[in-house]
Amino acid sequence: MLKMWRNKRAITPVLSNVLLMVIAVAGMSIAITATYVITGNLRDNMGERFIVEDVWFTTGTISIYLRNTGKTAMHIAGVYVNYTAESFTQLSLEPLEHGWSNVTYSWTANTVYHIKIATSRGTQVADYYRSPS
Amino acid sequence: MQTIIGRHRSLRQNRQGLSNIIVVVLSLVIIVVIVSNVILWSYQMNQLDWEKMQESMTISSVTRVTRSSWYVTQSEYAVNLGSRTNGSYLYTQVVDSNYEGFRESAPPRSLDINGTFSIDVTIYPLAYIQSVEIQLRYKVDDTGEKWYLKAYNWASLTYSDIGFNNTAGHTPSAGWNYYAVNLTSQWSSYVQSNGKILVKVHDQQPDPTRTNVDIDFLGVRAVINGALFTFQNKGSRTAHLVSLWVNNSTEHKRYDIDVVVNSGETFSYQRVDTQLPNGQYTVKVVTERGNTDIYTEG
Repeated sequence: MLKMWRNKRAITPVLSNVLLMVIAVAGMSIAITATYVITGNLRDNMGERFIVEDVWFTTGTISIYLRNTGKTAMHIAGVYVNYTAESFTQLSLEPLEHGWSNVTYSWTANTVYHIKIATSRGTQVADYYRSPS
Repeated sequence: MQTIIGRHRSLRQNRQGLSNIIVVVLSLVIIVVIVSNVILWSYQMNQLDWEKMQESMTISSVTRVTRSSWYVTQSEYAVNLGSRTNGSYLYTQVVDSNYEGFRESAPPRSLDINGTFSIDVTIYPLAYIQSVEIQLRYKVDDTGEKWYLKAYNWASLTYSDIGFNNTAGHTPSAGWNYYAVNLTSQWSSYVQSNGKILVKVHDQQPDPTRTNVDIDFLGVRAVINGALFTFQNKGSRTAHLVSLWVNNSTEHKRYDIDVVVNSGETFSYQRVDTQLPNGQYTVKVVTERGNTDIYTEG
């Protein structure tokens, strides 16, 4: 035991090798995780598609029916009416799912509104809609 | 051999160079994985967009449907009074020149037959049926007495015409005659939950003449308030229709649908639960790829 403690030159290379291995494994793990995260985000951004099936003007509300036609889940992050953010009911859709999101808005009859829907990844769908007379 | 051993020895001595190579190779692997992943996914999404562009779906027509098709008997009529003279029940399934003949019994000279009919409740669920109609096409050689249509009332367990729009019977003329009755709002008493309905044809009362009756057609049908949509796929891709909208100024109604239309084909799609609004309305169909077509009426 004493002999081993005295012969420090033998322990140093072992320790250094182990340390280097740990550093190398940690580095590769970080690199692989980063690769996974980067490609995953890119895939999600590229795979996001949705359409507006219907827009229905009811008293004090504009109801928007959305369908996720993409290959990734989506979350509505903002609805803009005439370039102004409005409050709306939260909506998250898995691929092929569909549902209503109600925007609280006091619209006036027979008026054209620019409505833009933006997802949390930044995908946007915008169009003009005329309110009923 | 000496060259290889020499190279190996120098490689072992020059460890800094070896680690550089490993780092470069691993970095290259990571970059290749990222790039290939992105390119492959981009290719897939481009294909998705390309397919969407190639899709072309149109709504050719939208019509109101108020009646189901005719349901005819699938078994021989039971002759309670009188006799069968010629033909079979198969001849009463279509309006044509073929008929099934019956003759009144020997005194008291009467005819009483009944048949079993069945409305397909998988196509026309009872919840969407508004009434039921019975139609008879027949010919007699004695126009002096009335003929009656009745149905079996599953509540009172007897043949009846209570609630029919016509309970006075039908006086035939020479040649073929049509006699139709509507069961009005009382129809549910005459139709079992599986759509079964028993229909009876009988004469007015015993009379001096022994009448021959030829029945060309006897059928029942449901009165509904549905819609028939005709979709035409003008694109080069098979279209999967997933959503149907019927909108007017006061209401936007959405229906989940699952209709596949081949490229170049036209498909008729009937719904008994879809009521078309009066006045102006818009019908919209949405495909799984996200294309939409609109049909406006009124």
